[in-house]
Amino acid sequence: MSEMVEVIVDDQTFHAEKGSLLIDLLIKEKVKVPYFCYHEALGADGNCRMCMVEIEGQKRPQIACDTFIKEGMEVRSKGENIEKVRTNILELELINHPVDCPTCDQAGECSLQNFYMDYGLHDTKITIPEKEKGLKKVDLGSNVILDQERCVLCARCTRFTDKITGTHELGIIGRGDHAKVSTMPGKKLDNPYAMNVVDLCPVGALTSKDFRFSQRVWFLKTVESVCHGCAKGCNIYIDHNKIKYQDDVIYRYRPRRNDEVNGFFICDEGRLSYKGLQENRQHEIVLDNEVISEDEAIEALKDLVKKYKSNITVIIDANLYTEDIEAILNFSKEIEANVCAPLDIYRDEDFKDDMLKSAQRAANYKTIENLSLETKIPEKCELLINFNHPGKFEAERSIDFRTHQDPDAAFILPLASYVESSGHITNEEGITQHCQKALSKNDPLPTVIEWLEKVSV
Amino acid sequence: MNKNITVIPRHGSSLKDKLYLPAIYDGVKVTFKHFFKNVSDINAVDTLEYPEEQPTDITERYRGLHRLTHRPDDSIACVACFMCSTACPSDCIFIEATEREDGHDEKMPKSFFIDTLECIFCGYCVEACPCDAIRMDTGIFSLTGSSREDFIMDKEQLLSHKGAFGEENSCARD
Ligand code: SF4
Ligand code: SF4
Ligand code: SF4
Ligand code: SF4
Ligand code: FES
Repeated sequence: MSEMVEVIVDDQTFHAEKGSLLIDLLIKEKVKVPYFCYHEALGADGNCRMCMVEIEGQKRPQIACDTFIKEGMEVRSKGENIEKVRTNILELELINHPVDCPTCDQAGECSLQNFYMDYGLHDTKITIPEKEKGLKKVDLGSNVILDQERCVLCARCTRFTDKITGTHELGIIGRGDHAKVSTMPGKKLDNPYAMNVVDLCPVGALTSKDFRFSQRVWFLKTVESVCHGCAKGCNIYIDHNKIKYQDDVIYRYRPRRNDEVNGFFICDEGRLSYKGLQENRQHEIVLDNEVISEDEAIEALKDLVKKYKSNITVIIDANLYTEDIEAILNFSKEIEANVCAPLDIYRDEDFKDDMLKSAQRAANYKTIENLSLETKIPEKCELLINFNHPGKFEAERSIDFRTHQDPDAAFILPLASYVESSGHITNEEGITQHCQKALSKNDPLPTVIEWLEKVSV
Repeated sequence: MNKNITVIPRHGSSLKDKLYLPAIYDGVKVTFKHFFKNVSDINAVDTLEYPEEQPTDITERYRGLHRLTHRPDDSIACVACFMCSTACPSDCIFIEATEREDGHDEKMPKSFFIDTLECIFCGYCVEACPCDAIRMDTGIFSLTGSSREDFIMDKEQLLSHKGAFGEENSCARD
């Protein structure tokens, strides 16, 4: 641990590690400083010059992202002088920018827009109407679309492919006005984390083909949750919206920073997993090809439980919230059923990599392990009650609680998915995390706990 | 006493006020003055025999039914930016955006509905539009229909409405 020193920023005193980056301190202490190219995961590049601050004893303003903290440093982040510098740099940034915010997906969460409102608001000194033209829609691959005109050449995207994924697909070619982001000749952006560049891009130069034009960002509501794609448990934001007269729908997942779990990023498969969650859902209660009412279903379920008393097996999906699993265990005790949670089916060695993705493709399998639940299904089993486990099991009679359609199920009861309820999951490293409820559907489906409250005797 | 305070005398306490009759007389005098004037020259009364007679005072600033404007090449001017629906206080503009393939911009509305029963004709959508793509200069002030659905204008209907004051195309798009 190196030495802590005192730094003064705008009359406030902070303590920071000697030799650490000034911009990190400013970001941490929420001192407002504009920046495009710096990113905590990618380090300093010093190309955008937006992060200028004044430092006592230095003749000219300095970039905070390449200034190391020294004992007794005095920094000014506000004031007429520095704001004038920022306005001028921004003006350079805007020379060739198309300012097509109305059609730009980034509008509303764009650094360039925000900085313009904070420091710009200038009349341009450029009198030639023509701007340098670029391609407006380049399909880079992996669902990423590039608009060359909007790019501020911060090189975050290229540094991501160089430093984080090591796949080196992106580069900046040309010089001066003609500099453009591009893939290497004959190559496409192709790695399982590629869509993170859309979040990294501070402007609307990189947009996601999946989210493109589907919503303006200011309509979206955000909740904090955890991806259920694998046992890593990457932290995400769920952006959803309920359009007037329609239903509440998820429009995108975005990574949420958590240094203990996923850092800054998520994988593309996890990012797009919200789609499967909303397709082919089971809405009705069906018994032997007939849609029945909830009361009839509860009656039928109770009858079956009575009939097969003491020969019942309950199967638990390892993606359910811990709260749900506990409720199922209580219910099983009540009806004297065997409980098991087969885990083999979730293993997928091809999915695993050494960045985030885990071979265990069940979000809460750690809880199943911690509770030492049986993972083998008993040989003989007459009545089987399945709580959304993806496996297929032999039994005389079965009751399936399902979030999604299952054509083989004879008695199927619909279940809310994880975004429609809230709870905790424990990831493979043993970290327990909370997922907020994202969607409030027009016709909400019961959660596991709600079903069990209804059927318990 | 604070000298900034002005004391206003109370009215209504005099005998004349308490009798009420003089005040009633003043009011009725105005009514009858108009009554006799109108009866003596019935043709001077400012009444419009609508709908046989149509109003002649619809000006350029009148906020009539909406229309979506065209570019000079007759393609739609709207770029589906949602500024109008964001500004709309009654949330009655429903847009679905899609990729645009005809070389103008990248985005256009796949569908564009205005529920004119919910609309309060405030004109905020027109103000908000960065592309002069939505206007209320059709001069259309009367809308009829036999069901609620008849009042939901779709993209084609809105594009078919003509401007009533000469300016046909969007002034912002080429
Ligand atoms: S595309 Fe975006 S992230 Fe990449 S250099 Fe341009 S502005 Fe930066
Ligand atoms: S690594 Fe796993 S948990 Fe993280 S986003 Fe991908 S699928 Fe989801
Ligand atoms: S006139 Fe007002 S209420 Fe009507 S659509 Fe426009 S913004 Fe909405
Ligand atoms: S009418 Fe104008 S404001 Fe509304 S979406 Fe179209 S371009 Fe945007
Ligand atoms: S953030 Fe410091 S130069 Fe870009």
